[in-house]
Amino acid sequence: MSLSELKLPDYREQSPDVSARFERIRKRPIILKVRELKKSFGSNGNTHIVFDHVSLDVHRREFICVVGPSGCGKSTFIRIVAGLDEATSGEILLDGRAVAGPGSDRGMVFQGYTLFPWLTVKRNVMFGLQMHGKALDTAEAEARQWLDMVGLAKFENLYPHELSGGMKQRVAIARALANGPRILIMDEPFAALDAQTRCQMQAYLMQIWKKVDVTILFITHDLDEAAYLADRILVMSCNPGRVAEFIENPVPRPRSAEQFISPEFLALKKRLEEHIHPPVEVPEKLPMIKLTEAGDEVE
Amino acid sequence: MKHHDWLGLKVELPRKRQLQLTILSFLAPMAVWCAISYVPWLWHPLYRVTDPGSVDYFIEDMDVKRADFEHELAKARAAGTALPQGYLTNPIYLPAPHKVLRAFYYAFKTPPRLPNEPWLHQSLGHSIRTIFLGFVVSSVFGLPLGILCGTYRFFAKLQEPFIEFFRYLPAPAFGALCVAVLGIDDPPKIAIIFIGTFFQQVLVIANTVRKVDPGLLEAAQTLGASGWKLVRRVIIPASITDVYTDMRILLGWAWTYLIVAEVVGTMSGITYFINQQARYRNFDNVYAAIAMIGIIGFSTDLFLAWLGTVLFPWKRKSRSAQNKRAWFAWLRPKMAEPIVQTIEPVEDKPEIKLHVTQ
Repeated sequence: MSLSELKLPDYREQSPDVSARFERIRKRPIILKVRELKKSFGSNGNTHIVFDHVSLDVHRREFICVVGPSGCGKSTFIRIVAGLDEATSGEILLDGRAVAGPGSDRGMVFQGYTLFPWLTVKRNVMFGLQMHGKALDTAEAEARQWLDMVGLAKFENLYPHELSGGMKQRVAIARALANGPRILIMDEPFAALDAQTRCQMQAYLMQIWKKVDVTILFITHDLDEAAYLADRILVMSCNPGRVAEFIENPVPRPRSAEQFISPEFLALKKRLEEHIHPPVEVPEKLPMIKLTEAGDEVE
Repeated sequence: MKHHDWLGLKVELPRKRQLQLTILSFLAPMAVWCAISYVPWLWHPLYRVTDPGSVDYFIEDMDVKRADFEHELAKARAAGTALPQGYLTNPIYLPAPHKVLRAFYYAFKTPPRLPNEPWLHQSLGHSIRTIFLGFVVSSVFGLPLGILCGTYRFFAKLQEPFIEFFRYLPAPAFGALCVAVLGIDDPPKIAIIFIGTFFQQVLVIANTVRKVDPGLLEAAQTLGASGWKLVRRVIIPASITDVYTDMRILLGWAWTYLIVAEVVGTMSGITYFINQQARYRNFDNVYAAIAMIGIIGFSTDLFLAWLGTVLFPWKRKSRSAQNKRAWFAWLRPKMAEPIVQTIEPVEDKPEIKLHVTQ
């Protein structure tokens, strides 16, 4: 049976619980407001538009996932939100204030491991606190607290190179959160991890998010990950990058791995697939290159 | 036991084999030297005359060409006169290993021939002082300038083109100038080492600093670091280990400028010693002195490599990290950290207990 024959609900259908939850979220104050953001490279005549007309509102403590085909500028988009890149035009308001340059109100977790190799795990977490002039012992106590939360308290004196990939990313999350950011920006943070560790890290992240007052902007190319984590999923399209759809995730919370085969999940995923992987036009008659013995042809 | 290939491509050799090869790398040239010195039919182009016999121009302890000696010997034999006596030997500029080894010992014990000449250890001390001063003066300026150029494009563009040009001017070319300006004693020598080291140093260090992972800088920026803090807390520590390695290599270069520097003005230090000994034809002492430079340079580098693992604990393999951290704590009490038990880093799932400040 093909996927198209499968009787799936509409991805916009929400159970009463879920719609009530979105109702509650909508009542929360808007923390991040993006208006008509545009990014382009090159000067007059020869410009390449990465994305334009990107507008969205994010409510407090929402979990937003950004997905899109590669090259649609989703990474550039959140780098601009983080202040690491500059937008060509448009504005970003965080708590009503315009964003300019990187700041500690926006924590960031990168795909690559960006822990400082010369600092122990604890000192890494203390880094941001010290940057803000916190006393050593306060910073240390707070760092311990955050390491405890990501379950790495006993590794506080190890150096990053002594940790596994998942542990490094947990330290990176602790380091970003220790600064008390309003919004946590995560750029494919688990992409480099193996599948098992990734699942574990997703569960971790959900637990952390529940306990910390933080809004999360999460980039991923893994649709399962997006559907599993997000409240709303921002789907971007390519050439030029646009907001294709901002989908409210119909999968009820609390989430668990069993939901991966629930009808809502599959409906959402099907919709995402349609956005990300539009049907590819493969020419009917590809030139046949004979490499195999007779009878070895693949179907 | 797994089979290890001696010539595996990019395969790390077991420690034991590494050590064997290290020893072999020293032993192989030594073996060649021994063979040439002790095996009579290898090379040995001369005869050392022990008894001139009837040959009128032979004197005792004279070295004559093998062909000449054999010719005279045949002549004497044919004439029935007294035969010249001698043994095969190498030229005087290639002393046998044992002579050089002995020279190592005696060079330090032998008083200089002239009353105002320095002892060997004084010569060496002088050389080490010259090189140390030259390198320190160079580093005092070169290190900060290199870091500045590596960090800010402004300084890179402002400084590097000229330095790049200056780098091609050979340091010895400034010898006469240095003497004219700085006199004939130590200052011009230090200046030569400075000129030889400084310009390379700035460029090499700037390059190393430029290679700092931009991801680390971005991470630090999102954590609130900016400006000078970014330089001090991220760029410098991120590049310090590589800069340290650069400095080790540069110190090696400084040694190569030493001999050139020491002939400028009044000859001094180890170069003077080597020169005098060569003049007296004490080639065993010459070899000993040259080897001494190698030994000092090599052991300094080994020491610095070891010091590096003490100073930069994050560059160590995790196994030995714990006990060496104690060392570090002793060196810098401010950074003292409790020594933790060796924990196998295992991915475990903790319970989340929380006290979040909101």
